[in-house]
Amino acid sequence: MKPALADRLCRALVGCYPHRWKQRYAAEMLDVLDQHRAGPRTVLSLAGGALTTHLDPGYRMEIRPMPRLSKDAKLAVVLSAAVPAALFALVALPAIAQNIRESSWHLSNSGAVGPVAFSRDRRILAGAADGPPWSGTSILWDVTDQALPRRLAAFEGGNPTTISPDGRTVATIAFGGQPILWNVTRPRHPARLAVLSAGLAGGPWGEAFSPSGRLLAAASTSELVLWNVADPARPRLLRTLAAPVQTGNPGNFDLGDGDLVFSPDGRILASASGTDQITLWNVTRPARATRIATLRGPSDYFTALAFSPRANLLAGVTFHGSVLVFRLAGPGHPVRVATRPHLLASARFPGGGRGPADPCNPGCATAAYAIGFTPDGHSLTVVIDRSEAFPSTTDRDTVFTWQVASSGALSDLTTIFRNVSDSQPTLAPGDRIVADGSELGGKVHLWTLP
Amino acid sequence: MHGKFDDLGRFADPSALILTSLADGPKHGYAIMTDIAAFSGVGMEPGTLYGALSRLERRGWIRPLTADERRRPYEITAVGQQVLAEQLQSMQQIVRTGRQRIATA
Repeated sequence: MKPALADRLCRALVGCYPHRWKQRYAAEMLDVLDQHRAGPRTVLSLAGGALTTHLDPGYRMEIRPMPRLSKDAKLAVVLSAAVPAALFALVALPAIAQNIRESSWHLSNSGAVGPVAFSRDRRILAGAADGPPWSGTSILWDVTDQALPRRLAAFEGGNPTTISPDGRTVATIAFGGQPILWNVTRPRHPARLAVLSAGLAGGPWGEAFSPSGRLLAAASTSELVLWNVADPARPRLLRTLAAPVQTGNPGNFDLGDGDLVFSPDGRILASASGTDQITLWNVTRPARATRIATLRGPSDYFTALAFSPRANLLAGVTFHGSVLVFRLAGPGHPVRVATRPHLLASARFPGGGRGPADPCNPGCATAAYAIGFTPDGHSLTVVIDRSEAFPSTTDRDTVFTWQVASSGALSDLTTIFRNVSDSQPTLAPGDRIVADGSELGGKVHLWTLP
Repeated sequence: MHGKFDDLGRFADPSALILTSLADGPKHGYAIMTDIAAFSGVGMEPGTLYGALSRLERRGWIRPLTADERRRPYEITAVGQQVLAEQLQSMQQIVRTGRQRIATA
């Protein structure tokens, strides 16, 4: 049996233990498996352990008195239960484990976890933990099995971290402010490919790969820079653009909390880094990229952006919780087609109470946002995370979902709430999985929208 | 719950090894496995280890300490030490008897 197969089977078998047992021991056992070289004996030991624990009266859900039976009858009863259970454990439970839809684990052992990033196939999750002893450490996880994520590597990459669409390259921003490219083709052994030191003035705050993965955009407080990363070991600087400068600061807003997204066809780059505006850039020919439009919003700051799958709509959510949708009928003539102001007043606190519309609550726990369209473009989802104080161990995600007409008009709002222990929401590609990074304890919480 | 080693039946051997490993100080799961391999040559697998840890904890022979990230150390309790001492005494008697009988055979 190959070690990789044995390892996967072992992790699936941990998912086969009784629920109460898993709550108590699964994290420890997964830590042991991270260090242990799994083989057939390990698989058998876990299969036997799971079966024995299910038969253990301490973990059985219901104990019924056994009627008095002959020895042969008892043997038949035990075999008739054990054989299907063993087959079930070997065949069906690994598949069921794939379908467990919520998990929470520690990305690192302490510190804050910023927004995380997913590869397009949602198999690899990258995040950066900030805080001793993991300051600016980039960490890769295999989340193919959402219930049993596997840590692949931790390396001194920096924060934030983003992944190329094919999952082969990670871009980080190091403490010195330089974007760095990492080869994660062998995810357990990330290798530094290149430092993109030229062309970016000011403190860089964000990066984005184009859908083809051939272009990397990085934004600083004053510039937007485009690199050709078709060969990530030899990136070429293509264009430096003057980015709008942020003016003013509402409350404790982190000026790094803008957003940078490519349209799905890779022709437009949207950057939200200025006061009350989104800038659209034509990057069809990146070496000659130009500004094509500036979208005005309320007197507010856009913190998260998303293009619709057909790239005809752009949605943004602001620091004070207003959602705006623009129709990009002609690239130079975007039109605002929907506005939903003051959503913060509808978002709930962990205790269930409604909070003030001010994103900076008493104690200054700023709200955090994620936004995304479903792959069919028919729904728009906005996640608002609120906590009652900073730092916080209890937060509540409020998820607003609208139906989206082809014109961009929003209708049929539905709202759901979920208490989480973490406060930096990210929507995974496909818009159904929410990943929350935490301000404390280095945790990540994954959950799936109903 | 206290009891005796005999109550553990086929689970007695892993339990004795774990208690012996913890006798010189707290250890987490993987450290227990490597320690047992070092002093006894027994390669204990995670399924066996955690089955035994769960039983020992319920009997009050070991207690979990505060976890460091995902690693939770365990320490032997006073009752666990007493049970281990009795078991070792019994094993010593077996060793002594066996040696005498081999010598006189």
